Amino acid sequence: MTNRLPWWMGGILMAGLLLLTFSVFGADRPIGASTYVPYFADIVFDLDAEKYPYLKEIANAGAWEGVMLMGALFGGFVTSVFLTKSFRLSLIPSGWKKYKNNSIVSRLIWSFVAGFMMIIGARLAGGCTSGHFMSGMSQLAISSMVFGTVVMIALVITGRFFYNVKEK
Amino acid sequence: MDIVVITEGDTFGARIVQMFENVIHQGHGSLALVFLIGVIFGGIIQYTRVDKFEKIAGFAMLKDTIVPKMLFLAVGIASIGLYFMIEAGWAHYHIKPIILQGLIVGGALFGISMAILGKCPGTGPVSIAEGRIDVLVGAIGGLFGGLVFTIYYEDFFKPLMGESLGKLILPGFFPGDEHIVVLIFGIVVSLISIIIPKVELFDEADLSRLPDDARPDKK
Repeated sequence: MTNRLPWWMGGILMAGLLLLTFSVFGADRPIGASTYVPYFADIVFDLDAEKYPYLKEIANAGAWEGVMLMGALFGGFVTSVFLTKSFRLSLIPSGWKKYKNNSIVSRLIWSFVAGFMMIIGARLAGGCTSGHFMSGMSQLAISSMVFGTVVMIALVITGRFFYNVKEK
Repeated sequence: MDIVVITEGDTFGARIVQMFENVIHQGHGSLALVFLIGVIFGGIIQYTRVDKFEKIAGFAMLKDTIVPKMLFLAVGIASIGLYFMIEAGWAHYHIKPIILQGLIVGGALFGISMAILGKCPGTGPVSIAEGRIDVLVGAIGGLFGGLVFTIYYEDFFKPLMGESLGKLILPGFFPGDEHIVVLIFGIVVSLISIIIPKVELFDEADLSRLPDDARPDKK
């Protein structure tokens, strides 16, 4: 049993999953993975839907993605234990140690800040890698092409300046 | 013993049950199917290892290209398949509007955070399922991001996003040639995925757990 799938197999499988999800025989909607976050924020913090109209806008998509996310957690866990054998508790990625620093505190603070900004960004743009890049570009949507281009540029510029790329 | 399911009220458990009820009634696949889509989604991401910091932050550093290769191939294949499924009536468009300021400001914030966290909202949970505590901290940050966005949506974020310029798609600019445009787009995007040179950044902590002949870096 191989411990990882090649990228082309992953691409083909992901295309298949997108088509299944889009089809009327499947879910008749795109895959998305960022609307569930404010939805979960509502579940955790018990916000008043009358006061915050955004909650009504995202109620259906948030619930759908919330259930899908539970599946993804389960699928990811089972795969990591039985197939990739990569399950282990860790606080800092090897790549962070190599290209950034050895500080767990630094990694955790940056993680929190980046997680916070990431969801604000995704909700401003109306989607993320799944909803815009994969599902949106598959429909040749102009909005998703704009998003994809901006994300790629910001990603590579940040990668260049945030990490010590020159080391090693 | 009776099992009581509380579907009303505002306790934490009730709100979770309401999420399931919503999915059952909204008509986008059965609860089991939606969960299964998630399982396959998580399985593909985990099994191709694109949930790893070394893959996404590695791409930001241009030291790993597995993520763009896989993304572009998925989009290339799905774009052609989806277009003809829509033509046949087997699927519908779900286009996101062009809200230019939202897309640019949001995309920039998203790209910066993706490089730092080394995850996105889809790969993050898969990474947490693999035991990565730092990503869990990122997800808690995300939860607060969702909270702040919800609370200040009307007053701050909605005006910041600007007006929608409509839900345009690329073939719409080429009336009469839609099929050709979709085919060219799908083929070009798939070719890009093949042409991008394959570079990989590995995580020694993962590789060291595998037998020598299974290590992708020693093949």
